[in-house]
Amino acid sequence: MDQLGIMLAVLGAALAAGFAGSGSAIGVGIAGESGAGIMTEDPGKFGLVLLLQALPGTQGIYGLLTAFFAILKVGLLGGDAVSVNVWQGLGVLFACLPIAIAGYYSGIAQGKTSAACIQMIAKRPEETGKAVILPAMVETYAVLALLMSIILLNSIQF
Amino acid sequence: MTCSVDYGYTVSRLRGMENRLLEPGVFQRLMDSDDLSSAIRVLSETPYGKWILEQQSEEKFDKAIESELLYIYSETERFVPDPGLYFICRLPYDIHNIKVLLKGIFNQKEGGKRRMDLLTGLGNMPVDEMVMAIESEDYRLMPFGFHRTVPECVSIWDQSHDILQVERVLDEALFSLQVKIAGEMPFEGVRLFVRSRIDAENIRNLARLKRMGFESPQAAPFFHNGGSVPVEKVLSLLNEPFEGWERFLSFADVSRTLSSAQEHTGLDSLIVDLERSIDDFLSGILAKFKYSAFAPENVLHFLWLKEIEAKNLRILLVGIGNGADRSVLRRLLRNV
Repeated sequence: MDQLGIMLAVLGAALAAGFAGSGSAIGVGIAGESGAGIMTEDPGKFGLVLLLQALPGTQGIYGLLTAFFAILKVGLLGGDAVSVNVWQGLGVLFACLPIAIAGYYSGIAQGKTSAACIQMIAKRPEETGKAVILPAMVETYAVLALLMSIILLNSIQF
Repeated sequence: MTCSVDYGYTVSRLRGMENRLLEPGVFQRLMDSDDLSSAIRVLSETPYGKWILEQQSEEKFDKAIESELLYIYSETERFVPDPGLYFICRLPYDIHNIKVLLKGIFNQKEGGKRRMDLLTGLGNMPVDEMVMAIESEDYRLMPFGFHRTVPECVSIWDQSHDILQVERVLDEALFSLQVKIAGEMPFEGVRLFVRSRIDAENIRNLARLKRMGFESPQAAPFFHNGGSVPVEKVLSLLNEPFEGWERFLSFADVSRTLSSAQEHTGLDSLIVDLERSIDDFLSGILAKFKYSAFAPENVLHFLWLKEIEAKNLRILLVGIGNGADRSVLRRLLRNV
């Protein structure tokens, strides 16, 4: 049963890194497409475009962080071996879900917002400050999900 | 997450290209120009400059405007995923070319001259191929169903020598094609644009036919199906005074084109004003989509803006060349 518990914890870590990373990849891709469109017309906007394209990438980092934290918790990253029963494994799996789900959807949503803001700076480069704030609002919910995942992981007793 | 992002690159690129559209300040400077030479000098400082340099005389400014439009269409074609979007915009030029060629042939048969200079390269079908197909009467390879429409027109001319009937058949073909192409694309905004364009054309025809004194049975063939307002409804307005048209059509968006109808004393001035109102109405239909970062309708919006820019330039340059009153020119300008 210990093995099943470990496997459930590993599944949680994999979902956190996989889904949040996928959301970021899609989001960065969407923003990148928009950025390429703008830079075809005005290569001088590379710096602004890169900044906005990078914003949806943070969800992937949050997912990776949660995944590390989860496997560290069950002792898969060195340290003393920890005995993990099925319920504890399930607990780790559920704790990873907030960042997995919110990371995936917010990554895509942030990519779309970034793309729209990239289009905005194409016409109004002087509004770059506002263009960064709008996608950053989406980031809030990824941060909240990360926070909840970490709190939940911390609350699981082994 | 069902919103399609396929047009992310396209719309962004178009946003960048919008920066090349002429600013209202340029139009103001053009309007302040004393004569055509100084207006052309102002235009030389804009993206039209490279095309103006290629022209041998100032009077050839229309060729420069056409070259810029052609350049924009060719550039847009390279990155717009759905070719139907620019087919819809370029089809009127194909129909224009067919009209020019057919009228030339008909004219020549009666001892007149052909006007090849009126042909434009802005159509979907290359001009050379179209000239070859129509002159050799080998219509088989003509696209968009022109292989059926052109022989039909020739046949109508041979039987009746009625050029209005020929024009009507070609206009009908244009709008049917636009409806068909728009219907094949999953974009509601494109269908709305085509419907609105047909409504607007019907209103334009209504005013013209009323001025020419047409009765309902004679006028019926000149109205096109496919718009939001049924043809019967538009036809019924022919017996009403034009001041009341807006009220009768108040259920439809196209009634906005008639909002100033009551200010006019006659159909002549209404028709002049209607041209501008129709263009502004269609601009308004497409302008809604500029707030969507991924809407394919942005392609139509950009191409329409470019067409309106070209139209404004033609109005200004022709007006300045003829010494027209600047306040009259200002009233004729669209959306500036």
